[in-house]
Amino acid sequence: MPAVPTVEATMLGKLDWSAIPLDQPIPLAAGGVVLLVILGVLAWVVVKGHLPYLWHEWITSVDHKRIGVMYILLASVMLLRGGSDAIMMRIQQAIAYQSQGYLPPEHYNQIFSAHGTIMIFFVAMPFVIGLMNLVVPLQLGVRDVAFPTLNSVGFWLTATGALLVNLSLVIGEFARTGWLAFPPLSELSYSPGVGVDYYAWSLQISGVGTLVAGINLVTTVLKLRTKGMNYLRMPMFCWTTLASNLLIVAAFPILTATLAMLLLDRYLGFHFFTNEAGGNVMMFMNLIWAWGHPEVYILVLPAFGVYSEVVSTFSSKPLFGYRSMVLATMAICIISFMVWLHHFFTMGAGPDVNAIFGIASMIIAVPTGVKIYNWLFTMYGGRIRFATPMLWSVGFMVTFIIGGLTGVLVAVPPADFMLHNSMFLVAHFHNVIIGGVLFAAFAGFEYWFPKAFGFRLDERWGKVGFWFTFVGFWVTFMPLYIAGMLGMTRRMQHYDVAEWRPWMLVAAFGMLLLTIGVLAQVTQIVVSIRNREALRDRTGDPWDGRSLEWATSSPPPVFNFAFDPDVRGEDAYWALKHHAKQQQLEDHSGPEYQDIEMPKNSPTGFVCAFFATVMGFALIWHIWWMVILGGVGAFATFVVFAWRDHDEYVIPAAEVERIDRINIEERRNLVSLAGTL
Amino acid sequence: MTMTATLGHAHADPHHIGRATEHPGPAPKRIVTAYGFWVFLLSDIVMFSCFFAAYAVLVDQTAGGPKGSEIFEQRNVAIETVCLLLSSFTCGMAGIAADVRNRLWFYLAMAVTCVLGLIFLAIEFKEFADLVARGYGPSRSAFLTAFFSLVGCHGLHVSAGVLWLLTMMAQVFAKGFRADVLRRMMCFALFWHALDIIWVGVFSVVYLLGGGA
Amino acid sequence: MSDQTHMHVEHDIAPGDEEQHSVRERILGYVVGLGLALLLTATSFFIAGTNLVWQPSIPVALIVLAIAQMGVHLVFFLHITTGPDNTNNVLALAFGLLVVFLVVGGTVWIMAHLNQNMPPMDQIMQMPR
Repeated sequence: MPAVPTVEATMLGKLDWSAIPLDQPIPLAAGGVVLLVILGVLAWVVVKGHLPYLWHEWITSVDHKRIGVMYILLASVMLLRGGSDAIMMRIQQAIAYQSQGYLPPEHYNQIFSAHGTIMIFFVAMPFVIGLMNLVVPLQLGVRDVAFPTLNSVGFWLTATGALLVNLSLVIGEFARTGWLAFPPLSELSYSPGVGVDYYAWSLQISGVGTLVAGINLVTTVLKLRTKGMNYLRMPMFCWTTLASNLLIVAAFPILTATLAMLLLDRYLGFHFFTNEAGGNVMMFMNLIWAWGHPEVYILVLPAFGVYSEVVSTFSSKPLFGYRSMVLATMAICIISFMVWLHHFFTMGAGPDVNAIFGIASMIIAVPTGVKIYNWLFTMYGGRIRFATPMLWSVGFMVTFIIGGLTGVLVAVPPADFMLHNSMFLVAHFHNVIIGGVLFAAFAGFEYWFPKAFGFRLDERWGKVGFWFTFVGFWVTFMPLYIAGMLGMTRRMQHYDVAEWRPWMLVAAFGMLLLTIGVLAQVTQIVVSIRNREALRDRTGDPWDGRSLEWATSSPPPVFNFAFDPDVRGEDAYWALKHHAKQQQLEDHSGPEYQDIEMPKNSPTGFVCAFFATVMGFALIWHIWWMVILGGVGAFATFVVFAWRDHDEYVIPAAEVERIDRINIEERRNLVSLAGTL
Repeated sequence: MTMTATLGHAHADPHHIGRATEHPGPAPKRIVTAYGFWVFLLSDIVMFSCFFAAYAVLVDQTAGGPKGSEIFEQRNVAIETVCLLLSSFTCGMAGIAADVRNRLWFYLAMAVTCVLGLIFLAIEFKEFADLVARGYGPSRSAFLTAFFSLVGCHGLHVSAGVLWLLTMMAQVFAKGFRADVLRRMMCFALFWHALDIIWVGVFSVVYLLGGGA
Repeated sequence: MSDQTHMHVEHDIAPGDEEQHSVRERILGYVVGLGLALLLTATSFFIAGTNLVWQPSIPVALIVLAIAQMGVHLVFFLHITTGPDNTNNVLALAFGLLVVFLVVGGTVWIMAHLNQNMPPMDQIMQMPR
């Protein structure tokens, strides 16, 4: 543009006072509340003097357990945000029959876009990555992940993405384009605001974080396993972690490239997906789903891993069909890259293309079915304990089967032509993602919480939470299947069809139950923290577990294991416990203890994410000087990190011994207790 | 049970796919680092594959603008290619020099690598600037969009590589051939060689296939 | 963890690392690689501009030459071998290549069929409503 920009435009880009939604009460109030909560928490932390502790023990931590916990915390907070969006949408659709409801269209559109984006990228992803981070090194018997500092960078970049999405509440707007921002709607000519830019840049930044996490976990599983941990002795969760992270590494670059193309269109006038100059809109659908379908399995494979661990532990049996499970996991890993067209059957690809992808989509249901049968047979003849994690797992099996079957239904191209973009589809993918991924997240949360914090969660409130969520899920989403059959399309701000109304009311009631379920789980956490002394897990093995994470104390020491575990078979810890190996724990004494080298904490991740936030914000608002500042800052951070001379510190043998002795003492009590049973 | 099952074919498996032998424990740091970077490179190549796919889809969408054969200059591309190939060779030499802890040869080989990379970038920049000056910028047509993005993405990677190269030289200058510096050097060499492989794809698919009739 | 690469026979070697060789042998490897790469590049440029070859075969030849040259780079510069100490490196590479093949091949296939069954976008935009 030849015109000389004004000083304001140079300094502030597109940013001015109109970016603050003073005329829209709902986002303003929501943003205000969030801001107050954040400021309140910050003030509390500073006043109480917790800041040094937080900085040294958490923010700069490179300990995989701490980072895992922070991932899960981020996911939980964002779950509340995304859940609020869901409540608002359900209320809107319940009352917007022959009326405008209470949400104007431009606001409603932002809400469903933000809901999808947040739930996938900032709830489901960080939750499963958090669980993998927390558990996988423990299960493999190692001291940390392959690249501890990068791990911290990955987490903080994910947090940056979440921060930017939430910033759009108060400064500017979020995308109104749906969670995948399809062009041409998301192109500059149809979405001139900053909403799509917020969407794209937060996903680009958090996408880098996810890629880093993926590389880290793949390398950890393939290269860091402890002695004797052969591939076919790894716990199932490690296998699904491997498969899922291979998919991250292979699929997230596709998302990065696709969003980069969209951004080039928007910022520099390129013509990838425009209607003019030969751009091709359909290429966006094609590329984004080439990422999007593997993404589904990135989420659900670790979930399958969680269920495998939980079902096996609470049935007190080894996992049935371990090898078939491994095979099914890896088969899903490969086939998930061959089905993406089923997301756009209706776009006119012609019968041969549709048929091939339809068949591939049905084939991928086979390994998934294998898994379901394996879990059922694991339970068969087992001594089942219906603790909360097991309840979530059984609830998953019942729920996920329906979701899977409706999935096979829409994998049939002619049926899909009827159901595409209807509420039926909405019901289907919530059925698999809530019933599959979210239930697993909760199961894993309940299951590994004692390991992370050293005390169990209150079972009574956990069960209340489960039953309300489980019933609430069915009451909310089954009506959506029916509404879809009745012809209701997705993303409707209002409607005039009388037959849909009752189902929307039922769904809103279900949403109420779901909300109670979530509140019960929040209560569960509060109650458990209060009663933590009574719920204390002194043995490190509260569930009579089978894999190595239960072989160390709860919470584990920073070095995880005083000695590298030596694995002799599947279910490594079970073997240790029950095949006359108990004495081994006591045998380690005296001079055998050695110094342990651990990676030093580093603020690299936090500082890097700070500059990424600055850069992302500047890019969104076209503040170019700030973009350069952020970029230079991020590069400088890495150079400073590369320049440091000592990246490890030593825990002396005496300290290792002291910490380990406490664990051994508690464990001896467990063994003698088990002897009396 | 598993143990007996796997120990049975201990010697029928030279590639350790079933790993009948006992897993020896965590790998040394050098292997871990290089393997992680190797996985990153594969993900980077997947990203390039999207731009290749976009180019393949959009190559005929010239929207009345120029076709590839009208704007590509084979001579420039040949020079660029030779620069990159030679730089890959000198990068390999730098790696060997680092392994035998020879500072002089290391600096020399890295400097030559850097100069060759800069020549490549200069030629590419001039090509882009000329095209834009003639009105054939990336906004002209979808074909030019795809062309600029694919080639430019590779160029950005080379620029990042040059930045990394200079940082590596500074690190060796300041810290010597420390173990962590050597690990980074190995990653840098992998990166630089991988860019060469991508360039082979670029000049074959974009310039030679697209430059023909 | 130590940094010695070649002591652990059980582990795969690092990608990019070679088996133990003398410096002379290593330099020789790069020289051979460079020579082969230059030869293949020259052939590619020659074939693209010549009339001596049957024209329809040129694209195929260029692709084959490109793949061959990538192979040369992998073997001589990145030191990827088929040896048992390279299993993980090769498996990762194979997975990456599979994905590249699926993404590029799938995209071209799908998009070609979309264009077959749909009028070009500019015509859709000009359709009377």
